[in-house]
Amino acid sequence: MKTVYVDNNATTAIAPEVLEVMQPYFTSEYYNPSSMYSAARAPAHAIQVARETVARCLGGVNPLELMFTGSATESNNTALFGAVQANPARRHIITTAVEHPSVLEIGKELARRGYDVTFLPVDRNGELIVDDFVRALRSDTLIVSVMMANNETGVCYPVADLARIAKETDAGIVVHTDATQAVGKLPVDLKSALRHVDLLSFSGHKIHAPKGVGVLFVRQGTPWRPYLLGGHQEQGRRAGTENVPYIVGLAKACELAEAGVAEEQNRVRSLRDRLQATLEERIPALEINGKAAARRLPNTLNLAVHGIEGEAILYELSRHGICASSGSACTSGTLEPSHVLKAMQVPFTAIHGSVRISLSRYNDEADIERIIEVLPTVVAKLRKLSPYWDDKRNCLSI
Amino acid sequence: MPWDYSDKVLELFKAAVQGDAGTHMGELENPDGFGEYGSIACGDTLRFTFRVRRHPTDPARDVITVARYLTFGCTSAIAASEALCSLLEAQGKTPVEALKVTNQELVDFLGGLPEQKIHCSVMGAEALQRAVVDWARKRNYPIDGLLPDLAAENAQEGRIVCSCFSVTEPYLRRKIRELNLRTIAEITNALKAGGACGTCHHAPGGLQDLLNEIWGQPSGAPDEGAGAGVQPLSGAGRSSEHLERQVEAVLKNVISPLLRKEGGDIELIDIKGYKVYCRLTGQSGRCRSAPENVKLLVEQPLKEQVDVRLQVIAV
Repeated sequence: MKTVYVDNNATTAIAPEVLEVMQPYFTSEYYNPSSMYSAARAPAHAIQVARETVARCLGGVNPLELMFTGSATESNNTALFGAVQANPARRHIITTAVEHPSVLEIGKELARRGYDVTFLPVDRNGELIVDDFVRALRSDTLIVSVMMANNETGVCYPVADLARIAKETDAGIVVHTDATQAVGKLPVDLKSALRHVDLLSFSGHKIHAPKGVGVLFVRQGTPWRPYLLGGHQEQGRRAGTENVPYIVGLAKACELAEAGVAEEQNRVRSLRDRLQATLEERIPALEINGKAAARRLPNTLNLAVHGIEGEAILYELSRHGICASSGSACTSGTLEPSHVLKAMQVPFTAIHGSVRISLSRYNDEADIERIIEVLPTVVAKLRKLSPYWDDKRNCLSI
Repeated sequence: MPWDYSDKVLELFKAAVQGDAGTHMGELENPDGFGEYGSIACGDTLRFTFRVRRHPTDPARDVITVARYLTFGCTSAIAASEALCSLLEAQGKTPVEALKVTNQELVDFLGGLPEQKIHCSVMGAEALQRAVVDWARKRNYPIDGLLPDLAAENAQEGRIVCSCFSVTEPYLRRKIRELNLRTIAEITNALKAGGACGTCHHAPGGLQDLLNEIWGQPSGAPDEGAGAGVQPLSGAGRSSEHLERQVEAVLKNVISPLLRKEGGDIELIDIKGYKVYCRLTGQSGRCRSAPENVKLLVEQPLKEQVDVRLQVIAV
């Protein structure tokens, strides 16, 4: 049985093209790029070329505005703590209630350290209310950090507009965005639409590069201090010997991702839309989280099934060779369901029954067919077991 | 995170979902005992029913013959429900004997449960107890002395300690003793209490206080630190009331009528110092929402008629 991998917002398969360009830097070109002998020029040059490639993919920024990190989580930590350190007079942070934990937890930590942190709420569609953002801006606002697209629901946020409003209010506000789910799925242009963004993070493993490599963009002139000290690498802004093969792989993946945005928007979107429509037709009492949002990532489908629990759904899908994920309490390692779905006020009868299906360019019609074949049956079987499902009338019974 | 379930858990879950012969999914009509524990809001529920072979004269000698469940919950909750029914049917226990079935027996039957899933077995034991109480009521059997005061707990009497999962103080006190729970983590794993926001951990009368009271002496565990403070949204930074009134007046009396002639309007979102946040709506919103148009249509008149320092920001 072929595995149907539809958990691409969690991680992705490494593209063969990416693996290929990485190989030499594991074997023949293993030298430390900082070394003096001529053999070290090859890896040093490879990093330079990779930086130029990524810079081009982000709208033609200055390559020196980019640093390579170990993950999007590191990029987020570096971005936010670096901005906090450089702006001691300001005490207010604005972020959202639906950020990835690598931003959300920093917000909570800064609150513990005495900062005022505004966690903007979202509405039932998962969207931010821009007026709330405007009212939250203060004279001592230090950072605005809003993700480009949500990893669970795929709902996209108007980062370009929010950044402009923040900068028109006060050029001293540092604007950060976590673009981890956006790169490769949406255009990310730091020279035009996103020209007011100061800091931008993403990682390689969501775009078919390996795990363990990320990027942080720091616009020239941004008040920001390095976080990892102890080396001259990355212009002294991120110490540590460069992970050459991964950096090379990430650049290749960026190139492929940029070229693939159109495919995401067309082929992948149509796969997702067909899956969504068919499941809506075949599964009664089904919520599509984020469906009514103005913009949603083309690859993401977040379902909430009334009356059953998401972890049990995942186990059943897994037995049929389908890899998906859930925001259910039972999969989170805590006892709480997803903070994103809670912020969206998904009904309590459905919030434990969420399933996230996230596609990539490697998914095809056959994968969608298999999910359509399996998921409605799994849901029906689990609902038979549920005290909250009336099997005779085929509806929720509380 | 993939849970490390035992083979037995996975086997029971699979059989239950497939409705294999010998599994116990379902709800008996007119059962001799009915018990339900949990809630959909908290993430798991077990509805448990059983039937007995009635003894002609002595209810104490009724024997449980059929047990069924409906479960809303994860893999291990469904497996634990299967375990409960299998165990009872296999052993031919009387309801009173069944009261002695502990969650540990269910855990053992399942070949172990991950620590964070222990509450699934507790749910089984609790639903069973409630069903036995129901049986006793129906059979007019005096059971009071054998049981904690479930009626009070069912009625949710007593102070709620963990509001995320609606766990009350009487229930916590009983279970902490019954299950020999010694730490907050053990309470959370077994009962879910304290597993969400965590404010009840070290609050006055919270989980740590209950543990101290029941087992004596504080454990000396360090506090986990205060929760995140959330700043309410506010229009901080406003300066001059007078300026704001002037801006509002010009927007209302000058700019809005102009826009309305063309089928649009303007909405004032906020004023912070000399910065005016507004949104063009309707016709004007569609064709003139670009920031430069807002400057032309709104900022210029405001600068001329109110204060040259004013700046308009399009939202």
